[in-house]
Amino acid sequence: MFSDFKSDGFMFLLILAVIVFVCAQALFFMSKAWKRGKELGITTDKLKNAVTSSAIFSFAPAVGIAVTVITLSVALGYVLPWIRLTVIGAIQYETTAAIAALESAGLSGGISAEVTDPQMFTEIAWVMTLGSILPLVLIPIILKKIQKGVSDVASKNSKWMDVMTGAAFIGLIAAFIGKGLAGVGSKSEPIIGDGAGVLSLAALVSSIGFMLIFTLLNKKLKKNWIDALAMPLSMVLAMVVVILINQFVPEIAAIEWRY
Amino acid sequence: MNKTYYDKVHSWGRIWCVASLLFFLSIPLAIGLHFGVTPRADVVGKGIASIAFFFATGIVEVVAYSPLLGAGGTYLSFVTGNIMNLKMPCALNAMENAKVKANTEEGEVITTIAISASIIVTTLVIAIFVILFAINPSFSETMRSDTFAPAFQQVTYTIFGSLAATYFVKHWKISIFPIAAITLILVFAGNLAIGVLIPVGVVLSMLGAHVMYKMKLV
Repeated sequence: MFSDFKSDGFMFLLILAVIVFVCAQALFFMSKAWKRGKELGITTDKLKNAVTSSAIFSFAPAVGIAVTVITLSVALGYVLPWIRLTVIGAIQYETTAAIAALESAGLSGGISAEVTDPQMFTEIAWVMTLGSILPLVLIPIILKKIQKGVSDVASKNSKWMDVMTGAAFIGLIAAFIGKGLAGVGSKSEPIIGDGAGVLSLAALVSSIGFMLIFTLLNKKLKKNWIDALAMPLSMVLAMVVVILINQFVPEIAAIEWRY
Repeated sequence: MNKTYYDKVHSWGRIWCVASLLFFLSIPLAIGLHFGVTPRADVVGKGIASIAFFFATGIVEVVAYSPLLGAGGTYLSFVTGNIMNLKMPCALNAMENAKVKANTEEGEVITTIAISASIIVTTLVIAIFVILFAINPSFSETMRSDTFAPAFQQVTYTIFGSLAATYFVKHWKISIFPIAAITLILVFAGNLAIGVLIPVGVVLSMLGAHVMYKMKLV
């Protein structure tokens, strides 16, 4: 399993260094924000709630990311996709970048062809890294200016800014909702459930439904844990609904109006 | 002059960002040195050229997401990635739960804490599951089987469905136009990538909301 060069001891040392670096950075910012939160008078309950809710919420998507690592491991071994999906990478980006890198290295089998040449492997690592690095160059230069501009506008007209921020969030969510309602699936790989259809609609409707139930429940019971768990639970329950539909009525689950 | 919390976040963020940049660039360099090979510039150049559109996406993402993620949240999110499917939903959910607004110092604190927690859990969960999958291939086959694969295929919709329930109920007046517009666009151009749909959705939604604000409807 770990005998080939792509998953040797050195590669494992690299991923270990990446994990330590990423967690250290997150802990650094969390401790600074926590301290500032206390100074601002935010209750410990609210701060803890933010941690608990995010931690539970992150579990299922993280498993999804780990599954992507496995998908890419056929060609690239375990460690390089693992590194790439731990830093900067996103599921949609890494798979595309890996395919582009494999093709530029002369492999036409896409992510199902194993890379056996260390030079090719190194070139792929460079392509995947350089392709995603631009935001890290831009952010130190422009972020402060962007945020200053936003905060100047916010201080001049806070009601308008509130409406605009809400609208930006809604536009973002609307893009995904629209995709689930009317987005076309992949033409090159006929995957069940990647185009808008019964499964995407079931995922959307059931997660909305569960979230509304939790919101109503919280209004009645007024418990902090409901706030923290509402979103992760709605998500997981909606995933269960998708699994059940697919298991018990596969012919209905396979219906896609945009395939 | 006393530094504000924001000034400090930008100083820390810049240091971490530059350190991340150097560290991430050193990874392929170290791999090459370890195997004793030199990458061919033409192969790397060709690979990058074919994914050059990611550079455009990168610029749009920085400009569009940073006001929503907050300063600390932006520095953290762009180092670890998976912004749309993880960091942004975490930030939105945490602000809703804590009843704080984006672009306030309270919002800044809450998003930073939420995104940090998400990063630590995600990193550890990926590590545990990759090791489990590697040690026991049948486990990874189960996760990719016909039983579980459809659920992971739809995970993004379950995230944004849950968020929609909160946001659309609260801001239903300004929600109708962007959802209708995006769905209509997709009816005619169904294979538009999500990376294109997001900026389009955000711009349309903000335009619609601005018009309603001017007409005193919101």
